[in-house]
Amino acid sequence: MSIPTLSTPRLILRGNTLADFENFLAERSDPAVMKYLGKGDLLSEEEAWTRFIGIVGHWQLMGYGTWAVVEKASGLRVGNVGFSDKRRPKEHPASGSPEMGWALAASVHGKGYATEAVVAALAWGREHFGAGARAVCVISTDNTASLRVAEKAGFRRFATATRYGLGRLVFERAL
Amino acid sequence: MEIPVLETERLILRGHALEDFPSYAQMWADPDVTRFIGGAPLAQEDAWAKFLRVAGHWAVLGYGFWAITEKASGKLIGEAGVLGMKRDMEPSFHDVPELGWGLLPQAQGKGYAGEAMYAILGWAENRFGKVRMVCIIDPDNAPSLRLAAKLGFRECAHTMYKGEPIVLLERLP
Repeated sequence: MSIPTLSTPRLILRGNTLADFENFLAERSDPAVMKYLGKGDLLSEEEAWTRFIGIVGHWQLMGYGTWAVVEKASGLRVGNVGFSDKRRPKEHPASGSPEMGWALAASVHGKGYATEAVVAALAWGREHFGAGARAVCVISTDNTASLRVAEKAGFRRFATATRYGLGRLVFERAL
Repeated sequence: MEIPVLETERLILRGHALEDFPSYAQMWADPDVTRFIGGAPLAQEDAWAKFLRVAGHWAVLGYGFWAITEKASGKLIGEAGVLGMKRDMEPSFHDVPELGWGLLPQAQGKGYAGEAMYAILGWAENRFGKVRMVCIIDPDNAPSLRLAAKLGFRECAHTMYKGEPIVLLERLP
């Protein structure tokens, strides 16, 4: 399928292509980016590659997914944002709804890019999933920057969860 | 991208579709399947991540794994194809097409894997030209080692992958 392109004042959201992998790998092997993702471990090239092709495959199979975030001013790819179905177990509070996720390169942290990208992705999601559909996000308990993004983007915290023995806060909102 | 369909006497090889996921998850939760591939049965969430990768592999690289269906029953019996997985192992083979196959236990022993792999080898030789190809097989997986030999692969290294012994085989043009 062809992945839609979204535009915000400072960012372009577009599909990932093979040429983006180097950048994705750099991001996934940066401790500042990975600190609150998964177990917090840096990814090897192979692990990053399996995630990268999984991101593209999600669009192919589900018709929605995660975009590459490109900074308009520099033309550089600076991260990812989008929806995914993670097929979490039924007992997980985030189960059953499209899950918003984001990660940005450390070089652009603190500029409000994540909120700008998440808001644009949510607007697309409202069209795609229908107004009022539920979306969720799951964030590490101590990831204060992302917790702020979730709140600014209109998510409301409603549950807690654990992953790899680490605490998570679970948010939801109606699109 | 449009995933090509390959047809053999008894099998259809086609791209995986979303509707295949329940059978796919069942296959990868079967310890008889994972005994020699990956080592442990996959939880639904992990099978889903693997399933997404299969679709993305085709979209990003233009080649990948096919779902194998049995003509007689119409059922999904396994998967096989060509991979570029940037595997973290030595010797490294990042730019070399890697062939792979996996069948449900009840579909094994009928020559299906060989039938699928001859079709895939033909496709791969057309796609990549006459190049070196590799495959990796668990040293205890005698049936797959036999099939690899029939397909023209020869052992080139006994090495480790994800902490387990593995045999690297190559097929020279």
